[in-house]
Amino acid sequence: MTRMTFQQALVSAIAEEMRRDRGVFIMGEDVGSFGGPLKSTDGLWEEFGKEGRVIDMPISEATIVGAAVGAAMQGKRPIVDLMFLEFLGLVMQQFIDAGAMHYYSAGAVRVPMVVRAKYGVGPHHGHQYDLHSWATNIPGVKVVAPATPSDAKGLMKAAIRDDNPVLFIEHMGLYHASREDVSDDPDFVVPLGKARVVRDGADVTIVASAMMVKRALSAAVQLEKAGVSAEVVDLRTIAPLDKETILSSIRKTGRLIVACEAIETGSSANDVVALAAEKAFEYLKAPVARVSPPSIPVPFNRELEKLFLPGIDDIVDAAERAIQYSDTGALREPVRA
Amino acid sequence: MTNNDTLLEMFRLMVFSRTLDRVYGEHDGHWHGLEGEEAVVAGVYYGLRPTDVLAPHYRGMPVASYAKGADLRKLLAGMLAKKTGYNRGRHRNDICGPPEFNLIGLYTGSLGPSLGYATGAALAAKLDDRDDIAVAVFGDGVSSRGDCHESMNLAAVQKLGVVFVCQNNQYAISTTTEAGVAGVIAKRAEGFGMPGIQVDGNDVLAVRAAMDEAVLRARSGAGPSLIEALTYRVAGHFYSDREDYRDPELVERWRKRDPIKRYRAHLLDNDVLDEHGLSAIETEAAMQIECAFEKALSDPPPDLEDLGIDAVYAEGASE
Ligand SMILES: Cc1ncc(C[n+]2csc(CCOP(=O)(O)OP(=O)(O)O)c2C)c(N)n1
Repeated sequence: MTRMTFQQALVSAIAEEMRRDRGVFIMGEDVGSFGGPLKSTDGLWEEFGKEGRVIDMPISEATIVGAAVGAAMQGKRPIVDLMFLEFLGLVMQQFIDAGAMHYYSAGAVRVPMVVRAKYGVGPHHGHQYDLHSWATNIPGVKVVAPATPSDAKGLMKAAIRDDNPVLFIEHMGLYHASREDVSDDPDFVVPLGKARVVRDGADVTIVASAMMVKRALSAAVQLEKAGVSAEVVDLRTIAPLDKETILSSIRKTGRLIVACEAIETGSSANDVVALAAEKAFEYLKAPVARVSPPSIPVPFNRELEKLFLPGIDDIVDAAERAIQYSDTGALREPVRA
Repeated sequence: MTNNDTLLEMFRLMVFSRTLDRVYGEHDGHWHGLEGEEAVVAGVYYGLRPTDVLAPHYRGMPVASYAKGADLRKLLAGMLAKKTGYNRGRHRNDICGPPEFNLIGLYTGSLGPSLGYATGAALAAKLDDRDDIAVAVFGDGVSSRGDCHESMNLAAVQKLGVVFVCQNNQYAISTTTEAGVAGVIAKRAEGFGMPGIQVDGNDVLAVRAAMDEAVLRARSGAGPSLIEALTYRVAGHFYSDREDYRDPELVERWRKRDPIKRYRAHLLDNDVLDEHGLSAIETEAAMQIECAFEKALSDPPPDLEDLGIDAVYAEGASE
């Protein structure tokens, strides 16, 4: 075990996989001696630069990802550092193609590629857009969003080994925040497609990912004080969804809150809501609620940003409203401390 | 030849830019400074019509906005994302000039698309039979974007009045031009069948002369041109950049080639204005910017009303 930040955990995952498999390489703007945007490739140049496996790129996003797809079709395992998720719009066509290739070729080709992208409201002022939901609408593309340093490492290793195109989103508010113990075992991976129950609870399920997991856990602590037992599910992989873990939590608590940093219109959170409506309707005691930003561009001013992004209180409020429904689904008198 | 008013207004803009760098950079470590590149922005941004459309490079956006007529205090308030800024705090005037002055900025952080929007502005002028033009400015780094190549080709095919300017400061963050750009940017013009010229981007008069010619061609309906202004990013990528990717001595050498000092000497030598007059311009710029900045700083932040969650769609439709 080594204590690491989220950013360090990501870099160590990539370094381990580059040591393990010579087919793994990384490319992107300023990933070389500069060490990557927000130090996302710190130290990789020193270790792998001579071998030509850390490649600085011109500002040509569509072709960088295009080249990654082409190299992956040849059996390489490219990692692209796209810098920011805000640039997803520039590379969508390549994702659409990459996602279709295995299926359309009747299994003749695979596209093992990871595209890393930073995003999120946090200390880095700018490039905050959380646009990951778009990619969940592309068949064949996996979307991964870690919430902790340990998951960042394990999921990155799994993403690099996976035979599919993966959009790997890295929240800038988590990047250099807290450290935690992270496994040094070269075979430590966190499998894609598996959510994690990070807190057990009985009364309400809060489904979240990335930064919203942190907020959901803080909300759960507050709710506990008010006598409400909240279960928190960290999706970790947003596409494909771990339906079973979500459904079993809903069956247990009967109440569902989905917290997401993407705007509510067209959000990946809506798939969790649809899953509950279709597959767990008979277990629901209260209306499902989403806690998401309004459908506007991310505002720049810090005060507006706070109004835009749901906070811990918004999650607590949503859970308390759900609790106002009794176990039979009838609305009780609101009990307020 | 360029008249004295123009000569002095360009000097004023260069001094304005340098002063803004100092005042704003000290306030915001993420400020993208322009030191060393002032001759390019002054030579390109001065003297456009209000109806000409300008898509500036992001580095130098506030200077472009000011040159296009934006109110300094409101612009600064918009850079600080205050309630009183052009954007009500929703966005940032440091990379996005107010469109009321026919400026095209960055509406996300993505570099490149604005070159297409500028091309579209020239298309609109052509459809209206106007001789207004569009000026599309980009860094050497942005020259690698497909948008850049595609805009040039489209503008050339359609004979649109676009002046493409590459503000080549030899860096894209840490990536040098050699590492990011194959060949010579100015020479791309030939491939697209339009005039292309490389000029000394530290010589405001050379930039100006190239602009005059390209603007004339664009207004006449003959089509686009490309100017590559070769300069050097003396400033860090942003104000608090550690800059451990380049040799400080090289930076010092370029700092000595200061385009403002060079131009100032030219103005003195040619009796355009005396020492007293030039110092007055410098003092005035400092006072003007410091005073406007103080006021903008004390302006109120935006509030819930400015967030405008129901304001994302425009009201109305064509009759
Ligand atoms: C499409 C896109 N890719 C990457 C970035 C991140 N980025 C911001 S500034 C910059 C460098 C731009 O270089 P250049 O065009 O030479 O302009 P300079 O900063 O030197 O003025 C990069 C890569 C971006 N904003 N947009």
